Amino acid sequence: MKRFVTAVLSAGTSRAVPPLVIGFFFLLYIVVAFFTDETLIALLAFTSRSTILSAVLALIPLNSLLRVAREVNSELKRHRSLRGRGTDDPTELFDEGVQFQAAPDFSELERRISALGYTTRRMGDALAAWRGFGLFPARILFLAGTFCLFSGILISTTSRTSQRRMVIERAMFPTPQRNGGIVERITLSPGTGWILSKILTMEVAPSSDSVHGKRTFGLYPPSLYGGAFVYPRFLGLALHLRFSAPDLSSGYETRHSMNCYPPGKEDSLIIPESPYRIIFTVPEPDAGSDRYISYITGDVTFRFKLLKGSEVLFTGSIPAGGEFSQDGYLLSLPEIRRLVVTDFIRDYGVIFIWSSALFFAAALFFWLPVRMFLPRREMLFHCESGATQACSRAEGGGRRHAGVFHEALDLIDAKKSDSTVV
Amino acid sequence: MALIYKLIPHLLSFFGIVLVLLRGFPGRRSVVMVTSVSGFVIGVVGAYILSRSFPVTVTFGIIKSALGVSFLLLWGISVVAIYRSTGRGVTIFRVERLVSTSLGAGMFSAMAGVVAGAVCACRLPSTDSTALAFILLVLASGTLSYILAYAALAIEKRLSDAFTVSPSGMLTAVVALLLFSSSSILRLDLFSPLSMKVMKGIHDFVHQFMESVLIPDHLFVRPIVWKYIGYLFGKGVGFWGGLVIWFTPALLITLAIRLKRLPPVAHIRQGAQRRRVLAAALKTQRLLLITPILSVVIFATAAYQSSFPSVEYWDPKPLPVTANQAGEIFIPKKGEVNLEDGKLHKYLFKQGEREVRFFVLKTPAGQLTVDLDACAICKPDGYGQTEGMVICYYCVTLIPLETVGKPGGCNPVPVQFTENGDGVVIDAVKLLGSWNATVQGTARIKEGGK
Repeated sequence: MKRFVTAVLSAGTSRAVPPLVIGFFFLLYIVVAFFTDETLIALLAFTSRSTILSAVLALIPLNSLLRVAREVNSELKRHRSLRGRGTDDPTELFDEGVQFQAAPDFSELERRISALGYTTRRMGDALAAWRGFGLFPARILFLAGTFCLFSGILISTTSRTSQRRMVIERAMFPTPQRNGGIVERITLSPGTGWILSKILTMEVAPSSDSVHGKRTFGLYPPSLYGGAFVYPRFLGLALHLRFSAPDLSSGYETRHSMNCYPPGKEDSLIIPESPYRIIFTVPEPDAGSDRYISYITGDVTFRFKLLKGSEVLFTGSIPAGGEFSQDGYLLSLPEIRRLVVTDFIRDYGVIFIWSSALFFAAALFFWLPVRMFLPRREMLFHCESGATQACSRAEGGGRRHAGVFHEALDLIDAKKSDSTVV
Repeated sequence: MALIYKLIPHLLSFFGIVLVLLRGFPGRRSVVMVTSVSGFVIGVVGAYILSRSFPVTVTFGIIKSALGVSFLLLWGISVVAIYRSTGRGVTIFRVERLVSTSLGAGMFSAMAGVVAGAVCACRLPSTDSTALAFILLVLASGTLSYILAYAALAIEKRLSDAFTVSPSGMLTAVVALLLFSSSSILRLDLFSPLSMKVMKGIHDFVHQFMESVLIPDHLFVRPIVWKYIGYLFGKGVGFWGGLVIWFTPALLITLAIRLKRLPPVAHIRQGAQRRRVLAAALKTQRLLLITPILSVVIFATAAYQSSFPSVEYWDPKPLPVTANQAGEIFIPKKGEVNLEDGKLHKYLFKQGEREVRFFVLKTPAGQLTVDLDACAICKPDGYGQTEGMVICYYCVTLIPLETVGKPGGCNPVPVQFTENGDGVVIDAVKLLGSWNATVQGTARIKEGGK
C-alpha cells in the first residue's frame, strides 16, 4: 500500500503531467480539426460536457498543488541541512555529492570559500556556504500561476453561463434575477488611457428591494452585480417608434432596441402582420468628428429605408424626437434612449485567470534578475568519524561554482584516500 | 530526364536517412542496410498499388498522415528529451532499450524506408498498371535504393568515430529529411496546411481568450491597439506560428543535448583529470549537436520549398461578362473558351462600382460548377489551377478538383446557376450578394475584427 501511495504521489508531483495533459488536448484538437472548422469551440464544448476530459484537465491544477507541497518540503529540508539541523541524507537535495575519507580543516576551508564571496556558517562538524538568492519564490509563484490558470480554465469551461441583455437608460437594470435598480444614466466619453479609446459608464440606482446599492459600471475590469460580471459589448439605441401607412390605418407603435453602432451598421424593424419593414442606420458623422458623437450627445438623425415586401418605397432621414411623412406614410420617433448590449456572465474562473497573470508576471520579475545576476549556489561539508560528505548545488553559474566546489574538495583531500561517488 | 530531376530531392533524402541511421545504430549496419532498402521498395510498390486501387486522394491522405504522425512523434520525443535533460532523475524507458536492439533498429529503418519510398513514388507519372511496369518499378526502386544505401555506407565508414548521433538527434534528422522530401510535392506538403491551421487556431484562441477574460470589443479599444491585436489574425501570424511549431522539436532536442548534465567529477581529486573528463564530455556534446543543427537547416529548406513551390499555375485573366435585361449572366459552353475542357475559366462581372470575380470549371466527375474566386475564410486573392487541384493563393491550401463546388473551409464559395442547353446562366443579383457577403466576412478577418 505504501509503495502504491509513493508511486501515486511520485506521478502526481511529476513535471511531466502538464506537458502530457496539454499534449493530450493538443492531439484531441487535431482530431476535432478533421471534423469541424470551429475546432476550439468544439473542443471546449466537449470538455464542458465530458467528466473524463474535465478530470484530465483537472490533473494540472492538482499537480501544481502537489508540486508546491513538494517544493516547500524540499526547501525546508535543504534549509535545515544548511543550518546543520538536517537528519536525513542531504545528497538527494543537492545536484552533486561525494563522500571520502578525510578530516578537513574547516577554518582554512571557510577562509578560502569566504574569500570567493560565499557566506559561510560553521556548525560543529559541518560547514555550509552559499551565495545569491534562491529561485524558490519564483517556482512557487509559477506553480501558483499554473494552478490558477488551469483552475480558471476548468471552472470557466464547466460552469460559465452568459445571458445577453439590453441595458437601457431609465429602464430597470436587466439582471438575470430581475431585481436591478433603474439605470439612471449611460455616458460615453473619449478615453484618456493608452488602451481604451472610450470611457463607458452605466450608473444604476439602488434596487427597490435594497439588495443592491447604487453602482457604476465601466468597461474594464468588469464589475460583479448579483454574482454576474457586467460585460458591455456593443452600443445601440432604444427607439419609441410610431408608424402608420395608408393601408395600416390603425398604425403601429412599439419600443425597439437597435444594435446600430458603429455608424453605418444596419438594423431593421419588421412591422408585424404587414408587408412593411424599416431599415435604420446611423450615418457616419462629418470628417473630424468623433465617430460616436451621436451616441455621446444623444443628437441622432437616422437614415431609414421603408420597404414593402422587397420594394423600396422611399428613403429619408429622421431626427430623434422628430417625424417623417410622405404619401400618407408617417414615421415618428418621439423618444430615443441610449442602450448598451451587455452580457451578464457568471464565471468565477475569470478571477483565477486574472490572478494567474499576476502570479506569472511576479514569477518572471523575480526569476529573471535573480537567475541572471544572483543565482543561488550552495555547498555543504559534513565531517563524521574521519569521513567527509560534501554536497553542492547551483541554480545558475554552475560551471564556476563547480570549480570552487572541486577546489574545496581538493583542499580537504590534500592527503588523498579512497573516494566514493554518492 | 525530367523525371530523374524531379526524383533528386527524394533520392537525396533517402541517402541522408540511411547515412543517419547507419551512424545512429552503430554496430547494426547490415540490419539498417537490409531493412531500409527493403522498406524503400515496399514503400514505392505500396504507394503504386494504392494509387491504382483507390482514389488518388486516399493514397495521398495515407502518406500525408504517416508524415504527420512522424512529426507528432518527433514533438513528443523532443518534449521527453528536454524534460529528461533538465530533470534530476533520468529514467530509461523500455522503448528506448528496444530501439537500440537489432529488432528496434530494423523496425525503425524499415518504417523510415517505407515512408521515404512512398513519398518518392508519388512523383512517378501515372501509367497503366501492367505487370511489366510493376516488375520494372520493383527492379528500379530496388537497384536505386541499394546503390544509394551502399554509397551512404561508404561515406559513413569514412566519418570520424568521434562523430556520434543521439537517438533523438537521429529521429530529428530522419523526420526532417522525410519532410524535406515531401515538401516538393504539393499534395504531401505539411508546412502550408500547418500554417493555415495555426492562423485559424490563433484567431479562435485570441477571440476565445478575449471573451473569456471579458476584454472589451474593438469598439472601445484604441485603433492603434486594435491594429496590434489585428496582427494576430493575419496571414503572417499563421506563417510565423507555423515556423515555431515546425522548428521547435529540432530546437528542443538541440537544447536538450546542450543542457544535458555533465558527468559527476567530484570524486576525481586531480584537477587535470577532472578537466580532461569534462572536456571529453563537452566535445561529445558538441558533436552530438551537429545532427539536430543540420536538421534545423533541412527543416528550413522544407519550409522554404513549401512557401515558394516551383509549380506553375493555370490562372487565366478574368474575362468581362455582363447581365441581360432580366439580370442574368449567360456564358456559352463553347465560345471564346471551352467550359468543358476541365480548366478553370475566370470571369469578371461589374455593376457600378461593384465587381465580382468568379470561375467556371468542369470537375473530374463531369459536372460544371460555378464558384466565386474567393473562399469564406481568406482574403479574396483568388485561385490557380494545377494538376488535379486548385490552390488558394492567400493561404496556399490545396483543394482537390473533386471537391470544388462543395462549400466549406477554404473551398471556393459555390454560386447557384442553371445549365441552359449550350451555356450556364447565373443570377447577377445573387452573384453580387454572395460576393459581398463573402468579402465582408473575410475582410473582418483581414482587418482583425473579432
